[in-house]
Amino acid sequence: MRPFELTAPETVEAALASPGTFLAGGTTLVDLMKLNVLTPQHVLDINELPLRGLDTSDGLRIGALERMSEVAGQPGVYPVIARALLQSASQQLRNMASIGGNLLQRTRCTYFRDVEMPCNRRQPGSGCSAISGANRMHAVLGTSDSCVATHASDLAVALVALDAEIRLVSAEGSRTVKLAEFYRLPGDTPEVENDLRPGELVTEVLVPRLDWASRSTYVKVRDRQSYEFALCSAAVALHIEDSRIVDARVAVGGVATVPWRLHAVEAALRGAPATPEAVEAAASVGADGARPLADNGFKVSLLKRTVVRALLELTEESR
Amino acid sequence: MPSRLDGPLKVSGRAEYGADHNFPGMAYGYVVLSTIANGEIEAMDVTAAKSAPGVIGVYTPFDPLELRTPSLPMFGETWVPLQNRDVAYYGQPIGFVVAETFEQARDAAMLVDVTYRERPALTSLEDGLASAEEAPPGFDGSPQTHTLLASGVDSIEDALADSPVVVEATYSTATQNHAAMEPHSAVAVWDSGVLTIYSGNQGSDLQAMEVAGALALDPSAVHAVNPFVGGAFGGKGRTSTPAFLAAAAARALDRPIKAALSREQVFTATAGRAATVQKIALGADTDGRLIAVRHDSWCSTAMDRSFVEPTSHGTSREWYATPNLALSQKMVPLNIPPTTFMRAPGEAPGSFALESAIDELAVALNMDPIELRMRNNSTAPPGRDLQWSSKHLDECFSVGAARFGWASRSPHGRTDGDWLVGVGTATAMFPALRFPASVEVTLQADDTAVVATSGADPGTGLLTVLSLVGAESLDITPDRITPRLGDSALPPGGMSGGSTATASAGTAIMIAASKVIDDLLVVATSPGSPFQGMETSYADGHVLAGGRTMTFGEVLRAVGRPSISAIGSSAPGEEMTKHSFSSFGAQFCEVRVHKWTREARVSRMLGVFDAGRIINDKAARSQIMGGMIWGVSAALHEGLEIEPNGRMANADFAGYLLPVNADIPEVDVHFVQHPDTLHNAVGARGVGEIGTVGMAAAVANAIYNATGVRVRHIPIVIEDLLDD
Ligand SMILES: Cc1cc2nc3c(=O)[nH]c(=O)nc-3n(C[C@H](O)[C@H](O)[C@H](O)COP(=O)(O)OP(=O)(O)OC[C@H]3O[C@@H](n4cnc5c(N)ncnc54)[C@H](O)[C@@H]3O)c2cc1C
Ligand code: SF4
Repeated sequence: MRPFELTAPETVEAALASPGTFLAGGTTLVDLMKLNVLTPQHVLDINELPLRGLDTSDGLRIGALERMSEVAGQPGVYPVIARALLQSASQQLRNMASIGGNLLQRTRCTYFRDVEMPCNRRQPGSGCSAISGANRMHAVLGTSDSCVATHASDLAVALVALDAEIRLVSAEGSRTVKLAEFYRLPGDTPEVENDLRPGELVTEVLVPRLDWASRSTYVKVRDRQSYEFALCSAAVALHIEDSRIVDARVAVGGVATVPWRLHAVEAALRGAPATPEAVEAAASVGADGARPLADNGFKVSLLKRTVVRALLELTEESR
Repeated sequence: MPSRLDGPLKVSGRAEYGADHNFPGMAYGYVVLSTIANGEIEAMDVTAAKSAPGVIGVYTPFDPLELRTPSLPMFGETWVPLQNRDVAYYGQPIGFVVAETFEQARDAAMLVDVTYRERPALTSLEDGLASAEEAPPGFDGSPQTHTLLASGVDSIEDALADSPVVVEATYSTATQNHAAMEPHSAVAVWDSGVLTIYSGNQGSDLQAMEVAGALALDPSAVHAVNPFVGGAFGGKGRTSTPAFLAAAAARALDRPIKAALSREQVFTATAGRAATVQKIALGADTDGRLIAVRHDSWCSTAMDRSFVEPTSHGTSREWYATPNLALSQKMVPLNIPPTTFMRAPGEAPGSFALESAIDELAVALNMDPIELRMRNNSTAPPGRDLQWSSKHLDECFSVGAARFGWASRSPHGRTDGDWLVGVGTATAMFPALRFPASVEVTLQADDTAVVATSGADPGTGLLTVLSLVGAESLDITPDRITPRLGDSALPPGGMSGGSTATASAGTAIMIAASKVIDDLLVVATSPGSPFQGMETSYADGHVLAGGRTMTFGEVLRAVGRPSISAIGSSAPGEEMTKHSFSSFGAQFCEVRVHKWTREARVSRMLGVFDAGRIINDKAARSQIMGGMIWGVSAALHEGLEIEPNGRMANADFAGYLLPVNADIPEVDVHFVQHPDTLHNAVGARGVGEIGTVGMAAAVANAIYNATGVRVRHIPIVIEDLLDD
C-alpha cells in the first residue's frame, strides 16, 4: 500500500469538487490497495454523504451507501435481490459493503490481483495471463481476446434481470442509466469496465415495479456452501398464471464478463407450460455463443443446469 | 478447571503468541520473494528500497545476513535464506527489508528490483513422472521397494494374475499447505550475548538448536520461547525463514526485530504437502480375501529432495492381511516450494488411494465394504511377527455401523428431493509412536506442583495433559498443578509431532512423579525430619506413617525446603521389539450431490476410534473432529494449483478453499477405550493425526454410492460429477 491522502467530505457537492477515489465500505478498494493493484493518491471517504434510504413502496429505490446486509434484511425487497445479497461474501463483509460499491467491485481474476503478472485490465497492453493460464473461474460469455474475467457481483445479476437503473451525479449534473447498459464488454479495452465518468458518484439504484417478481429466486453454484464467488448463478423471476408462463426474467452470473441477461431463454419461456420439460427446453439455448477456455468448459453445461434448477424452484413453488 | 487450560486466554485474546511480543526499539522485517521458479539472480537493485522512509537495512544474496545451514538428527539439514543466488521455486525468500515500522518495511520491499537469468522450470508432477527418481530410504531406514511373496509365488504380477477378482486404478492427490492460523513469524531479541527468540514452532529445544547452528552460537546462548502456537500440523517443525532472518538481523543491527510472513507468502515461503500419484492393484478371491496388494507411489518434492510423502508405506505396508505385497515409492523433483510433514504424512493421501481401491473391490465383489474390510483384518502387519498390541478395529466398525445406521445403506444410494444421497466408509490407521521426552516435576512447599517440559502445545492440548497426567501421577487435584511448556530452558520435550506428545510426555511425567515421590519420602524420613526412620508411604498428596499424615507441603516446610524436583525421561524402548503399535478407526460419512448442479455436500459424519486410553475427552474429540474436517477439506476443497511457471494460482484464502461452517454438519466422534499399556505406562496412543486419515476416501466412496461416478483424484469438484 502506498501512502495516500484521506478526506471525508460531508456533502455531495464537496465530494464532487475534489478529484479522488471514493471509499464506501472499502472491502474492494482497501483490499486492492493492500495488493498495490490500486494506488490512489487521494481517497475520499463518502460514508458521511446522505446517500441512504430504502423505499419499497413503488418498485425499489436503494441509496448507494445502504449496506448489503441492510437491504437483504428489508421486508418488501424482491426475493431475487435479497437472496443474491445473502449469498454474497460473508455477514461481516455485508455489514460493511455498500450497494454502490458492490456494483463497482472489481473482478476476482487472480492475475488482476497480482501486480507481478501481465493483465490487460490492470495494465492495458500487457497481455492477458488468464487466457492461457488458470481460467477455471473465468467467463465463457462476453469474452474477448483481451480479457476473459467474470464480473463478480451477485447483486448486479439480480438487478439486471429486473431492468434496474442507477442514478449518477457529477459536477456536470445527474443522469440515469440502465444497469445492463452501464457495464461494458471487455473488447479491446478491458480497462474500461463501465460507463462511469471520472469523478462521477453513484447515488441510487432504482428497480422498476414488477409485482410478479415476488416469485423470484437466485441460485448460486459454488465450490463451497458459503463465502465463495459463483461458478455459475441464475437470477430468475416467473410470472405464472394457470400453469402457463406469462413472462420471465433470466440472468446469469459467474459465467460472463458482465451480468448476463438471457433474452432468448425468456422468449422461449413466454407462453410455455410451467413444466420441467418446457423449462429444460428453454434453458437449452442459454449458453449459445459460449467460448469455453481450457479449464472452464464445464460452465456451458453448468449454466443450463443452474437456470433449470432456479426455474424449477419457482414452478414447483407455484404448484 | 476448564477442559482446556489455555482456552480462556485464547478466546479472550490474552494468549501471547510469538509475534505478539513487543520491545523498546523494535524494528520490523519484511521478506522479499522470487518471481521465477528456476534460475539465478543476476542483480538486485536496492537503491530505491534503501532510501525509502524508515528503512534500516536491506539484505540480499549480494549483501546477506550470514547464516549457516543447521543440521539436527531429527530433521537433517534446514535451508537458510540469502546464502546464494540460486532460485529453485517461485516465491522463494530472496531478500529481507528492515524498517522502523511494518508498513515501511513492506512498502520498501515492493521497491526491490530483481533481474534474473531464468531457466526452464519443471513444475508439473504429471510431466515429471517420466523423470521420477528412487526415493531414499524411509524415516526408519527401510528401503522404499518392498516385496513380500507367499512361498511358491514368483512375482506380484503372478499373484495378481492368479487372483479371481482384480481391481486396478491410478489415484492422485493435490498439493496442500498447512495454512495454520498463525503465520510463520518471530521476534528476536539480543541481551548480554543471549538471543531470545519468540516464535511458534513444534519444539522450543529443537528451535534453539537450529538457530544456534545457523548463527554459529553455543546452544546455551539461544533461548527459544513459544508458550502458544497458532497451529503447526507439521509445518512448524523446522525453524522458519522469518525466525532465521529476524535472529540474524537482530544481531547485525543490535535491535529487537519482528518478522512475519503475510498470508500469501506462507503458501510459498514455508513447506507444504506433496502432490501424489498412486497406482494400486488389489487381487482377491471371490470371498473377498486379499491375495495380492500392489501399491506404487510417486510424490512431488522440491529440488532439494528434502522430503518424501510415503503413501505406500504409510498405508498398504501395514493395513490389511495379504500374503503378497509389493510397494514402491518414487519422488519427482520439481521447481516447487519445499515439502514436509503435514498431518498424517503418507497416511492421509495414501489412505485416499487405498481406501478408494478397497471400495472399488467391494463393488467388484458385490460385497458390503465393511464386511470386506473385516475379512482382511490383520493381527499383525503382513510379513511381520510382531502382533498389534491392542487392536479393536472390528469394534470401531461394528459400533460405527450401528451409530451411523449403516444397515439401511443401499448399494446405489437413494434420493431425497433433488439430492442424490450416498454413504461411504473407510479405515483409518496411524502408527503409535513415541519420541524422546523429558519432564520435570517439582513439589512445592505451598502444596502445589509444577510439571514442566520444553515441548510445544500447538493447539493439541499438551498443556492440559501435563496438568491431568501430573495430577494423576501425584495423586492430587489438577488445580494444584502448574503446567509449563514452550521454553527451551525447560527439560527437552522434543517435538510435538507424529501424534506422540501425550504418550511421550505422559510417560516421562509418570517416571518423574514416582522419582520425586521417592525423593520426598527420603527427605521425610531422614534424620531430623518428621518421619525420621519410619516406614512411610505416599497417597493423596500426603506422606503417611504410623497413623500420622502430612501433606508434601507440610513435610517440605518442616524440613525447611522450598521445593523438591525430579526429571523423568522416556523414549521408545523395549516395547518396539515385542509388538506392533497403531491407532485404528472407522470413518463414515453421508454425502448429498445435487441432481442438477452437482455440488457435493457432506451431510453426516462419524468417526469411531481405538486410540488407547483417552486422557482428556473433550480435547481428544476436538483433535479428531478437526482432522475429520480436514479430510472433508482435502476431499472437496483444498488444493494448490501450480502454474507452468511455478506460480501458485490460488495462494490466498480466497482461492485456497477450506470448508466453512456451512459445509460441515455435526461431527460425531466416538472412542472405544482400551488402554494400551503395552505401548506406554499411560495407556494412551496418539489422536493428533488419525482423524484425517481415511476421511477423503469415505467422502469419495459416498459420492460413488450416491452417483455411480468414481472420482480418483482429490479435491473432487463439480465438473467431476457433471455427466454431460
Ligand atoms: C472475501 C470477499 C468475498 C466476497 N464475496 C462476494 C460475493 O460472493 N458476491 C459479491 O457480489 N461480492 C462479493 N464480494 C465483494 C463485495 O461485495 C464488494 O467488495 C463490496 O460490495 C464493495 O462495496 P464497498 O462499499 O466495500 O466498496 P468500496 O471498496 O468502498 O468501493 C469499491 C469501488 O467502488 C467505488 N465506489 C464505491 N461507492 C461508490 C459510489 N457511491 N459512487 C462511485 N463509486 C463508488 C470505489 O471507488 C471503489 O472503486 C466479496 C468481497 C470479499 C472481500
Ligand atoms: S482475464 Fe482480464 S483481468 Fe484476468 S488477466 Fe486477463 S485481462 Fe487481466
